[in-house]
Amino acid sequence: MPLLCGVFATGLAFGQGSSAGVEKFEGGKFPGFVVDEVVVPVPSEIFAVLDKLGSPNWKDELRKIKLPETSDRIELSLVFGDVVAEGFVAVQAQDKQTVEDIGRDVINLAASLGLTKAVRPHAQSILDAVKKNDWKGVRKELDQTQTTVRASMQEMRDDDLSQCVSFAGWLRGTASVTSVISKACTEDRAELMNQPMLVEHFTKSIAGMSPSARKHPSVAAIAKGLLKIRQDMESKDGNISQDKVNSIKATCEELLTLINKPEPKKGK
Amino acid sequence: MPSMKTSLRSRVLVLTAALAFILPIAQGTVDEAHDYAMEAATPFVEQGYTVREDYWNGEVVSGQKLAIKHQLFKGNEYAFWLGTANPDCELELAILDVKGQPVHMERKAAKQTVSVRVNPPKTGTYTVVFSVKSKTERGVTWALAYGYR
Repeated sequence: MPLLCGVFATGLAFGQGSSAGVEKFEGGKFPGFVVDEVVVPVPSEIFAVLDKLGSPNWKDELRKIKLPETSDRIELSLVFGDVVAEGFVAVQAQDKQTVEDIGRDVINLAASLGLTKAVRPHAQSILDAVKKNDWKGVRKELDQTQTTVRASMQEMRDDDLSQCVSFAGWLRGTASVTSVISKACTEDRAELMNQPMLVEHFTKSIAGMSPSARKHPSVAAIAKGLLKIRQDMESKDGNISQDKVNSIKATCEELLTLINKPEPKKGK
Repeated sequence: MPSMKTSLRSRVLVLTAALAFILPIAQGTVDEAHDYAMEAATPFVEQGYTVREDYWNGEVVSGQKLAIKHQLFKGNEYAFWLGTANPDCELELAILDVKGQPVHMERKAAKQTVSVRVNPPKTGTYTVVFSVKSKTERGVTWALAYGYR
């Protein structure tokens, strides 16, 4: 996937002469380019840590998503991100039926977005993998589905939709993570919410959208919600309190409810 | 006086040489750079790492340092793989914390690739700093991928 290089200096700079070719921070300007493309972690990266820290009941975290009846491409893209993230939860829960349902939802949503050709092979692979209980394979195909959809949207110059898929997926993943953490909050688990760079990235993405996308009710609500989440993530040492985890959870849930039940258009 | 055939051949040779001088010589693509990164990832996959499908890539001036900010979660082990389609390159790759201190370990260099592992001491934002320096080319391709377990 072709990516652009950003050309702005950061506050980092590097000296010479430390061991094994490693460079130490010394202050000043970074003598190079900062690539401004952000690769957003998939939910399973955090789920993997939660599994190491305990035994979450992932079945409790499953949600039934009803596909909205809309032709609004922003709403469809947001739901797409939500559905793919739900797929990652279903993999953790090893819930075959839910994964199959998600595979079919992915195909339906892709059709509504005009992305059937790009998505169908991945969706079919999801269905094939789940039949074989190949959970690693399902996870890989969910990751590929999301990457392919975003790349296709970018090729179609639909960057706004690509960003919607990305931050909706993050919201769904974060809702699950905060739900698990809130049930048995420890410092190690709460620290997983130390993600200010990602939230700032999403906020910046929305600010960079076209005016019509930025003003879309769902996107505007998400922009506001992200500011609140960013405040809740504020921490001097990266430690996040249980109250803040619960607050992040509540914000994510509110936004996901909005994504899945968009307001009816006026005048219809 | 040269024959017509020799004269035409000479003109073609001169034109070809001129074009080679003016046009950048393609030395592989970013997709090939990614292929090399995936080659470096293979032994890690055998050790249980999951490779992310999303990655970074591009073309850059040889030797130019690049930096990428990335979110890591304490509790996971990560590996980063840098690949280039350009042969005869020196590749550098480091992972730094918010204070600019290196946190990576086990740097492994191979043909057109370099990899590092990192166990992040805290969940948060880290900076991946890297460069690809060719002995012969002015421009180089690169691809950076990562995995976790």
